[in-house]
Amino acid sequence: MGGVEVTRIVTSNDPGLLQVLRGVVRYRAQQAGIAESDAEALAMAIDEAASNVIRHTYGNRHDARLALELWIYPDRMELVLEDSGPKVEPGEVRPRPLEDVRPGGLGTFFIKSFVDECAYEENFPAGNRLKLVKYFSRKVAPGDESPD
Amino acid sequence: MKVQIRKANDVTILDCIGDVDLYSSPHLRETLMEQMHAGNPAVLVNMSEVSYIDSSGIATLVEGLQLSRQTKTRFGLFGLKGNARSVLELARLHKVFAIFSDEPEALEKISSIEPFGGL
Repeated sequence: MGGVEVTRIVTSNDPGLLQVLRGVVRYRAQQAGIAESDAEALAMAIDEAASNVIRHTYGNRHDARLALELWIYPDRMELVLEDSGPKVEPGEVRPRPLEDVRPGGLGTFFIKSFVDECAYEENFPAGNRLKLVKYFSRKVAPGDESPD
Repeated sequence: MKVQIRKANDVTILDCIGDVDLYSSPHLRETLMEQMHAGNPAVLVNMSEVSYIDSSGIATLVEGLQLSRQTKTRFGLFGLKGNARSVLELARLHKVFAIFSDEPEALEKISSIEPFGGL
């Protein structure tokens, strides 16, 4: 894949661990000197993507696993979320129209808003591998108190 | 996340403290539904201690708004900041809810809104 693999963590798909996934993304992004706004966007994107897996791919079963990889490049950070559920048909994952005010259906819209690229790996043999890419608006120097 | 319930005259205030995500939003939903069905004339959600909310939390608030229309409850939010305000605006829901800057403003104005959540 190239670049630097910063972290790969494997967890159960317990929604109580979403805060851990968000925390890992924020922490690694902060370590890499990424602007706080970009780090928060990535944390929100992984939360929504993992929530989708828990609710839809795994159907709220909590006995399955999720794996998260974080890759940091000079110009971007990539998050890869892996599950072992049934294949997701990318065409079926569409954000709902915003004018349709109702509970639910915003997760995919948020993911597409928070990252620059969002795609499933086509040839992943079992389960799904979703890659989210965020290009940095800028990096901040350590100790910079006012990113963005 | 914790949800604490208190009263200010005839207004019920739900103080949300912590992150609202897929794990915690069912607790907020349950509390919100209980208070709506309890015949309270007005329910306010205090978001000032919510630093993070995701789509499941937003869905819970939308559900509360819809229920408020059925139960004729005046419903509003106050104290939104940072992420919570940003995602509501991103989803273009900031004009759908009655949103107040802080508790004094919310208590002053909640009685003047129509009992369907919007201004």
